[in-house]
Amino acid sequence: MIMRLIYHLIVLVLAAQTAWYLFREKKFWKQAGAALVLILFLLRLALVK
Amino acid sequence: MSLRRASPFALAALALAACFFSGREFVSMRAADEIHPGPGLTAARLLSDWFPPLRGTPGDTPVFVFRGAAAGGAVLVLGGTHPNEPAGYVAAVVLAENIRAAKGEVIIIPRANASGFTHSDPQEASPQRYEIPTAGGKRSFRLGSRVTNPVDQWPDPTIYVNPGGQKLAGIESRNLNRAYPGKRGGSLTERVAYAIMALIKAEGVVMGIDLHESAPEYPVNNAIVFHENGADLAASAQMALQAEGFDFRLEASPPNLRGLSHREWGDAAGIMAVLIETPNASHGRLKGRPSAALVVEGRDAFYEKAAKLGRLFVPFGPEGIPLKERVARHLAAVSALLDALREITPEKSVNIENMPSAKAVLSQGIGSYLHPPN
Repeated sequence: MIMRLIYHLIVLVLAAQTAWYLFREKKFWKQAGAALVLILFLLRLALVK
Repeated sequence: MSLRRASPFALAALALAACFFSGREFVSMRAADEIHPGPGLTAARLLSDWFPPLRGTPGDTPVFVFRGAAAGGAVLVLGGTHPNEPAGYVAAVVLAENIRAAKGEVIIIPRANASGFTHSDPQEASPQRYEIPTAGGKRSFRLGSRVTNPVDQWPDPTIYVNPGGQKLAGIESRNLNRAYPGKRGGSLTERVAYAIMALIKAEGVVMGIDLHESAPEYPVNNAIVFHENGADLAASAQMALQAEGFDFRLEASPPNLRGLSHREWGDAAGIMAVLIETPNASHGRLKGRPSAALVVEGRDAFYEKAAKLGRLFVPFGPEGIPLKERVARHLAAVSALLDALREITPEKSVNIENMPSAKAVLSQGIGSYLHPPN
């Protein structure tokens, strides 16, 4: 259970940083790249492997 | 709002939509296949009945009990220890959907590692499901992974020391057939193994049969692996199988290879433990493109070539080794082992009726012995 919480925490931090990057970045293709990475992190956050 | 300002919102919305649709498909893998036990069923239970801490966990799994009117022994049949080995799983389902016990008790666990059915092996491009036609439509079965889902047991250690003290690669910590005799307070996989051991001891099981498949390039194939407690049983069954035209080899369970069913069931519970292997091209390393057709039809040009080069341990021709042939081999082996048990310990024997014969499965197909889908 503790390991699962740690896992969630790690993925949550990375997802939040990626979302922050997506909204801060000005160039479209960099935004698109961040959105693609965000998909993976959000799926992981929901424990969808 | 300018296009530049709107694009992050649009992209975030697209990301959420992609998460929803792909997530929905992935989550559907967690739905268990339907199994329709036949009229011979006397009790449908859960593995956690023998080890309550397992209740409500992804390791809990259905256990089907078939008890005859006459007293006899108890036999355990396990399918789905490795959910990427479909013939063992389907053979257990065919047994559960057809048999009646006349004497003694048959206990069937078709999905021994239930968690392993909820995901696929990464980087293998495995099909999610395969289908078997029945009289009333196609039955769909999950092709899972060899090991427990990491969502249910994480992280893997660098080196796994199993309950028997064997040192193994970290991923083997999620392999049910390395976790026996299990551990009460261990990982999910070890707790499942512990529950199966508890069932064996509580029900007085005399013979345990673990149904598996292996890659055609693996030497232990078309084989009965036996614990020394079951040496006579396995030898007798092998002779009967050879006479029937099913070529099987005998493999003694190595005493120093700890954690496997055929070793620990015998050592820890004193039963006659055997493991059956049939050749499955769909999880071998030499296969071409993975597909549901490869699982069911078992035809593969690369394996055919490998056989011509003498690299395989089983014959592999253009007709391949279809699922129905592999399931038939499992059924033939189970039947021969039950006959051998009757010879060796008549008072502990188990008589079952309405068991599909291997020859009938070969001629009529597996679907003739499966309940139509709901």
